[in-house]
Amino acid sequence: MTATKQALNAFVHETGGWVASQLEACTRCGMCAEACHFYQATGNPEYAPVWKVELLRRAYEQRFTIFGAIKTALGIDKRITDEDLQHWSDLNYYACTVCNKCSMVCPMGIDLGSLLHGMRAGLAAAGMVPADLMTAVNKQIEEGSPLGMTDSVWDQRLEWVADEWEVEIPRDVQGADTLVVFSSIEVMKFPTNIAAIAKILNAAGEKWTVSSKAREVVNFGFYQGSEENTKLFLSRVLEGAKELGVKRIVVTECGHAYDALRWHAANWLPEANDFEIIHITGVLGELVGSGRIRLKPGAFDGDGTITFHDACKIQRKGGHIQEPRDILKVLAPESFKEMTPNREQSVCCGGGGGVIAVKAADPVRYAAFELKIDQVNKVGAKTVVMTCSNCRLQFTDSVDHFKLDWKVIGLAQMVADALVE
Amino acid sequence: MPEETIAEGLKKSGVSRRDFLKLSGLLAAAMGLTNVPPVSASGLPPRLGRGYSVNRVIAKALETRPRLPVIWLEFQDCAGCSEAITRSNSPTLVNLVLNTLTIEYHETLSAAAGFQVEQAKQDAMQRYAGQYILVVEGSIPVADDGVYCTVGGRTALDLLQEAAAGAAAIIATGNCASFGGLPKAKPNPTDAKGVWELITDKPVVNIPGCPAIPEATTGTIAHFAIFGTLPELDGLHRPMPFYGVTVHDRCLRRPFYEAGKFALSFDDEGAKKGYCLYKLGCKGPTTYNACASIRWDTGLSFPVQSGHPCLGCSQPDFWDGGGFYQGQSAPLDRPELAAIGAAAAAGAALGVGATLVNQAKKKAKGGE
Amino acid sequence: MNWTAILEFARGPFFYAALLIFVAGMIYRLVTVIGLGWSKDRVPAKGSKAGGVVMSFLKGILVWPFIPWVKNTFKRNPLIYIGGGLFHLGLFVVVFLGTAHMLVFKSLLGFGWGTLPLPIVDWLAAAGIVGMLILLINRIIHPVLRLISGPAEYLAWLFVFLPMITGYALTHHLGPRYEVMYSLHMISVNVLLIWIPLSRISHFIFYFFSRAIHGQEFGKRGVRV
Repeated sequence: MTATKQALNAFVHETGGWVASQLEACTRCGMCAEACHFYQATGNPEYAPVWKVELLRRAYEQRFTIFGAIKTALGIDKRITDEDLQHWSDLNYYACTVCNKCSMVCPMGIDLGSLLHGMRAGLAAAGMVPADLMTAVNKQIEEGSPLGMTDSVWDQRLEWVADEWEVEIPRDVQGADTLVVFSSIEVMKFPTNIAAIAKILNAAGEKWTVSSKAREVVNFGFYQGSEENTKLFLSRVLEGAKELGVKRIVVTECGHAYDALRWHAANWLPEANDFEIIHITGVLGELVGSGRIRLKPGAFDGDGTITFHDACKIQRKGGHIQEPRDILKVLAPESFKEMTPNREQSVCCGGGGGVIAVKAADPVRYAAFELKIDQVNKVGAKTVVMTCSNCRLQFTDSVDHFKLDWKVIGLAQMVADALVE
Repeated sequence: MPEETIAEGLKKSGVSRRDFLKLSGLLAAAMGLTNVPPVSASGLPPRLGRGYSVNRVIAKALETRPRLPVIWLEFQDCAGCSEAITRSNSPTLVNLVLNTLTIEYHETLSAAAGFQVEQAKQDAMQRYAGQYILVVEGSIPVADDGVYCTVGGRTALDLLQEAAAGAAAIIATGNCASFGGLPKAKPNPTDAKGVWELITDKPVVNIPGCPAIPEATTGTIAHFAIFGTLPELDGLHRPMPFYGVTVHDRCLRRPFYEAGKFALSFDDEGAKKGYCLYKLGCKGPTTYNACASIRWDTGLSFPVQSGHPCLGCSQPDFWDGGGFYQGQSAPLDRPELAAIGAAAAAGAALGVGATLVNQAKKKAKGGE
Repeated sequence: MNWTAILEFARGPFFYAALLIFVAGMIYRLVTVIGLGWSKDRVPAKGSKAGGVVMSFLKGILVWPFIPWVKNTFKRNPLIYIGGGLFHLGLFVVVFLGTAHMLVFKSLLGFGWGTLPLPIVDWLAAAGIVGMLILLINRIIHPVLRLISGPAEYLAWLFVFLPMITGYALTHHLGPRYEVMYSLHMISVNVLLIWIPLSRISHFIFYFFSRAIHGQEFGKRGVRV
């Protein structure tokens, strides 16, 4: 089967009334372009979200509508070719983080994020996925983690973290209430996060555990857009949770993993509904709000302005918008300042959706980050707090690239640092 | 008789010089004349075209032109147009048409009857062949060889063709003679037609209306009598002086239309205040007639002034042009609920068919 | 064939046919889209889906069009915002609150409603026409819109513009005679009615789908719509 045919099959499979009605609602006003940080940063009209989903529209109209079929026959609407797929693969994987900001400005309210995901499904089926992203996917299939966090690496890192920060990390505890699933980004690059979360949960007296089976929450299948791989990676987490008999699964500071597990898993794998799935930000809000942990008020005041970066998958698409602010108001009542726009209107970091994993996308990724630099500089912040390791990776990488003097920090780490024993 | 001039005839019937000049001005106004038509056409000295007012030109013409013979035929009509002429508001014009012009034949007005009057008509047609004006009132039925309207055993079509052959010009007065009028209304059982649909080798002027405004008929006849030509006509063969603008254009309620003030029923506050009758179905905007400027009964009033919306009685097929009290903008036919339902059902059926095809494509996963 | 006859055709059988085609076409479109199937969402909600949908429509219909600073895109591309806003406002007022059009609905539905004074409707119609011109210019000069616009987009623009401009000329007695303009207006309206189911002008139906989905998705996640 040709790539085009495979893509078409996937598009046809993706297109139900849900997708079709939204494609039909589009008036082609081009408003979505103005929301896209990649378009704003580069001015490339091809980065308009409506253009990124062009192939999905063509597939729908040409396969399912009479008028589309006529238009194609007359040559007004172009057929999809392998070259098209390659081109749109570049557009979608290099210059889209599926942050769904476009949906916020669409006058018709079209949920472009899900259509963009549909595009990826077709491209993935056609094998039109950037090579470095594909390598990571394959690594996750074979080794259990895209960052090479094999069983032995996992053991070593956790032991090291427990030693280094003198914190107890319960492992594979049967009958625990809460299973915490870390992302390999945290394990490999931000190990302080692991220590911090462990410290917080221990302080709260939570009956929690980690699982060596469900050790990787990152889901590169979701980036790729492949339903099959996404399901495979999700099921590893769910099986791990089932074996330990936990009641809830806590996703740590990883955006897309939370998106996949919280908002999509149940539709593919009904057993996901056996667990309460929650993001660590929600847990932090709950612990602080109920007083199960106490924080030192103003612990972070006096060290320059602090601002909070809203992540697309955790805040805009996850709903954990208020909790970080409540916590920051305790930790830094004086130095915490909001960027504009903020909350659900936030500007994306530019590294999500797998973009940061694609080397060839670096120029657009850095270009998009310049919008964030402007935003942060406008409030004059020296510290940027966030709840997503992927954003944090983009921030630390870009801070290096642009030689900025910001401090980039995860919220969990701040909470852990300010704990009153 | 026709050898004497129009002026002489008027004088004979007791019209003073003063009244005669007044009449000339009235005629000019009635014909909507602001400048003189080609004077040469009237047979007057060309120099008259310069320096003389319109009134004087007309007065001069009336003094020199011979009287005009008129033959008036009635077919499928109600004689309403004739009646309107006899009630015409300007007596001098009535004089002009009824007394001064020679009406050689008129079925309703002739004193004589039967074969005598038919004979008189034959005589007139022969004597004035090629000179007389033929006025037609009423539509002509052509179904079943025209048996639905006969006079003296001959069909209307036959009589029309006979009379038209020798006419200098034909004036169709009223909506029936012009466009078929009420007899032509659906389902038009007699296949009624207007004159201009049947006679194409003679100039035909349409003076539509129900009835036609008498001044429009007499003014057109006068124009021909004075200048020897017909007034300028529009696409529907209507004389521009009377049918150049719509009732809406000259309506005295027009300012209320512009201000968006409408009567919503015949007895509400708006109706009492004289608001626009558009919402009550007034057809003024598409109706070309001189009602709003000439008006009726000595210029006393016209329907819209009196509180009734314009029916559009001078427009072709106005009987079938939607309800009289239905808004001008409303579609002519109100779709039957059943038709809408059928369309919806057809759409749904096609949609279900397409859905089955689409579902099959989805199952086959490719679709090609 | 004279204009009175053309007008009668355009107001009579042609309009009737166009209306039936419109109804059949829209039902067809709806059935085919719905017929593509809807999968059940089994994900437990964090917030209220219904609340999100209500907010989505409130914002989509009542707030969004009138408060420019609600969305920061106004600053980036005020042309689309102003043009689109003026056009839709003008269109709705003219179609539903113009006396002539209300009478159309009255004759079709059997009941009428109050309308706005002609001068107000008139200015809004003019604003709608200006809005459409702005949208067209924007579509021609904006790089994104140039990229995503094909013949269908320009045709749709034309078919919406014609009834508006002829209708405007009609009420002002501009151009040719009233019944000529009226005929052109009715013909363009009929063409538009037929074109709606064949084009993206039908977005006014699918708008309710996409806005409901938007509200549901954001409401489900507990995020402000």
